[in-house]
Amino acid sequence: MSTTTAVLDDAARTSTDSKGKAGEIAGFDVTIRVRRYDPEKDTEPHWEDYTVSAYSTDRLLDALHKIKWEIDGSLTFRRSCAHGVCGSDAMRINGRNRLACKALLRDLEPSKPITVEAIKGLPVEKDLVVDMEPFFQSYREIMPFLITSGHEPTKERIQSQHDRERFDDTTKCILCAACTSSCPVFWTDGQYFGPAAIVNAHRFIFDSRDEGSDIRLEVLNDREGVWRCRTTFNCSEACPRGIEVTKAIAEVKQALLTRKL
Amino acid sequence: MTATLPGPVGATSGAGAVPTSPALDSPRSPYVRNKPTRSNYEMYAWLFMRLSGVLLVVLVLGHLLVNLVMGDGINQIDFAFVAGKWASPFWQVWDLAMLWLAMLHGTNGVRTIINDYAERTATRLWLKLGLYTAFTVTVVLGTLVIFTFDPCPVGASADLLPEFCGTTSAATPLG
Amino acid sequence: MQTHSYDVVIVGAGGAGMRAAIEAGQRSRTAVLTKLYPTRSHTGAAQGGMCAALANVEEDNWEWHTFDTVKGGDYLVDQDAAEVMCREAIEAVLDLEKMGLPFNRTPEGRIDQRRFGGHTRNHGEAAVRRSCFAADRTGHMILQTLYQQCVKHEVEFFNEFYVLDLLLTTGEDGVRRTAGVVAYELATGEVHVFNATSVVLATGGAGKVYKTTSNAHTLTGDGMGIAWRRGLPLEDMEFFQFHPTGLAGLGILLSEAARGEGGILRNGEGERFMERYAPTIKDLAPRDIVARSMANEVREGRGAGPNKDYVLLDLTHLEPAHIDAKLPDITEFARTYLGVEPYTEPVPVYPTAHYAMGGVPTNVETEVLADNTTVVPGLFAAGEVACVSVHGSNRLGTNSLLDINVFGRRAGLAAAAYAARAPRPALPEAPEADVVALLEGLRSATGTERVAVIRAELQETMDMNAQVFRTEASLKQAMTDLDALRERYALISVQDKGQRYNTDLLEAVELGFLLELAQVIVAGALERKESRGGHFREDYPDRDDTNHMRHTMAYRSLDAAGRDGIVLDTKPVVTTRYQPMERKY
Repeated sequence: MSTTTAVLDDAARTSTDSKGKAGEIAGFDVTIRVRRYDPEKDTEPHWEDYTVSAYSTDRLLDALHKIKWEIDGSLTFRRSCAHGVCGSDAMRINGRNRLACKALLRDLEPSKPITVEAIKGLPVEKDLVVDMEPFFQSYREIMPFLITSGHEPTKERIQSQHDRERFDDTTKCILCAACTSSCPVFWTDGQYFGPAAIVNAHRFIFDSRDEGSDIRLEVLNDREGVWRCRTTFNCSEACPRGIEVTKAIAEVKQALLTRKL
Repeated sequence: MTATLPGPVGATSGAGAVPTSPALDSPRSPYVRNKPTRSNYEMYAWLFMRLSGVLLVVLVLGHLLVNLVMGDGINQIDFAFVAGKWASPFWQVWDLAMLWLAMLHGTNGVRTIINDYAERTATRLWLKLGLYTAFTVTVVLGTLVIFTFDPCPVGASADLLPEFCGTTSAATPLG
Repeated sequence: MQTHSYDVVIVGAGGAGMRAAIEAGQRSRTAVLTKLYPTRSHTGAAQGGMCAALANVEEDNWEWHTFDTVKGGDYLVDQDAAEVMCREAIEAVLDLEKMGLPFNRTPEGRIDQRRFGGHTRNHGEAAVRRSCFAADRTGHMILQTLYQQCVKHEVEFFNEFYVLDLLLTTGEDGVRRTAGVVAYELATGEVHVFNATSVVLATGGAGKVYKTTSNAHTLTGDGMGIAWRRGLPLEDMEFFQFHPTGLAGLGILLSEAARGEGGILRNGEGERFMERYAPTIKDLAPRDIVARSMANEVREGRGAGPNKDYVLLDLTHLEPAHIDAKLPDITEFARTYLGVEPYTEPVPVYPTAHYAMGGVPTNVETEVLADNTTVVPGLFAAGEVACVSVHGSNRLGTNSLLDINVFGRRAGLAAAAYAARAPRPALPEAPEADVVALLEGLRSATGTERVAVIRAELQETMDMNAQVFRTEASLKQAMTDLDALRERYALISVQDKGQRYNTDLLEAVELGFLLELAQVIVAGALERKESRGGHFREDYPDRDDTNHMRHTMAYRSLDAAGRDGIVLDTKPVVTTRYQPMERKY
């Protein structure tokens, strides 16, 4: 399949199935190379190729669905909302962490086989499904909830627009694990809290209403905290929500330094 | 039907219960949270890398400036020039700091790269062994050279030596 | 098989489920069973906001909100329930703020509010700023905040446990009550029985009965389906909301906030056509009206695009900075999926199946009803799976986030209170038998039909025949198609025969629920010979308060041969303050 893309006969497409799609839609064949692993059958993962026909507005998730629904029902992956807000379908696509529902086939060099494998650093359960429990465990350990003291106000807490803006970027996190599983430090050391946990700590550390910063900073000051970050920027590059993850980690480091020194 | 098995999901899907892909997809050290140490060691280590980096920029640029730009530029470099510099404790300390900081900074950097990218345990072990050997040899030799350096070796031709050596024997370096 | 015992079992970890879990978890031994990881639920896709009459930016009160809700639902709303919701809305928003939800702020630092479709001041005078929001990811923030609180309160989650059966037992007193649920653990394929005093259904909607939908792949009406199969009724299922602005061809939601912030709908001729359909509030008319107007423009040949099959959402007159500040996510959707730059080009949009107004009937205490009045002790429901009914025949924008918070909280409290006073019911004989039979039946089936094919045909016929415009003929066609699909469903087989993460099997089970629910939708739509809210019959274009001002109650019947059918009944609408008026905007 490394030769050329086979453009399908446009006449094969009726006007009804182009319903509503903007602009011209060219059809093409694309090979998806999936790293399969069935714990009940395989001892080692292996690669399998599937060729499906697709349109330029199709996302990788559409192609995976096509494989599952038309070729091999046993292909297993998580997905839900299919438009990049639920965070179910983070996977390693052509070597980069992406959400399958946000990766358009036409942007993935469809003339060559598109490789799809499970995100790295978490135990593979089956095909593209990994055990997310270690990831969520790290998340829970940074105490991702508002910590306050004293009496609650009868109405809302007051927060200036500026203070609200301060942590806006890190509130976008959908816990898809694309960042954490793109991090070379996490690949080596499963104890590292990882970018996602730090991002969620950042969201509270820089929330003017929160009073638990000291505890969170102390957690992240430890062996497995922010100091492990080596600013490779893999996480920022992987984030499907466009969060400046590395910057957020740097801001936590800065907060620790200004507090300690 | 008789046994009542309460327990959170962690108990049912924890690592180890389910056999997983053996091909190094999981972290080499699986998730087991260590006890918090409450020490600032990591922070200081991190700070060291940054500060040594900044210092090295000054030291290396200063070194390059003095050696290659000022005076006659590269044409001035000969044994006499080096001997003249190392006769001064100022340059001894300068070069010693440069040596130690560069080696610590560089070795630590390469160590992390090996940890990150060498996937097999044996490979990592050997690479790091080589790295530490190189570190030790370079630092020990370099330190020895800087401190035991004799600017006026006996019997050397006078035109190769710095001026302060005089004509007959090694003089005490400039105070 | 494993057996667990809990005071409260909550099925579903979306907004309603987790809001319930926060309350129940602090009061009783609670387990949350969820098909997905908690933060994957579709609450996170809600964008625009959550309405509450805080009056932070302009005069407002909860009574106006109640009126808008009742009128928006075309008077099929139970007004006592709407009052509860709109009154408790204020507390619900403040609760979320106290939990840490990062609402957008006014210059004074209060919670900011914006306009939203159908929300008006003083009974329809003009649009009012009532929706509390966090950019265009309010649902995301709610879902995250609720999960954070669950972490704080150490709520016990059973992730990727798919609940497939509701256990009901008849006690010595002859009362049919809840005894727990049966769940399938996706990771291992094991069946778990949960013996519980209280069960809260919070499984969300069933949008996947349609092809063009804003709903997640996982919204397959499981909660409605298991209640239905246990003989519990479903209320008002024919009312399905079609959101006006789905990305054309894809169905991905573009929030009403786009219009709240000044976006305008235009037809292929560039005309702002909503001026003709709703002269007062134009593009901010309720969703059913806007969706129908859009579909009508396309039907009458004034659509845009090469096939004239969509209309345009125009944001080009807005400042890019304003768009970035208030609508960052949805503009990104347009760029990513259609390659359209909303700063300079209008975005192709078309109505998309969005929300089931109907569901499992409950009272305002969220107790599930076995008929018009009888409560099923220990069984509660909240959120889209339930029909309280606060949405009537058409839900107002933002009222779903409100619904899950108000009634989720109520369900959690009620479930915990019930569990504290009632004993743990004994499990019925072989509680897992039905689920095991269902799963093994599907796993070992050797038929030739494929799940994906049947599902596609189901969605096709529902889109074609039971969407924005319906007629007797189209609905009968849908019914015929569905009957045929049900028969073919009996002949399916799954390819994946394994135990672990068998999503092939899961999809087959889900399709079973979808098919049965689609039949209930169509049966209700056929019977309702009027047009009201989200249900529009071209052969009966007017609202008929004399014959149809009542809820539809659908019951599952079984004939002698064991074949299931649908029996329809009605339930009166609760009216307190507002008498039905003509619905004009």
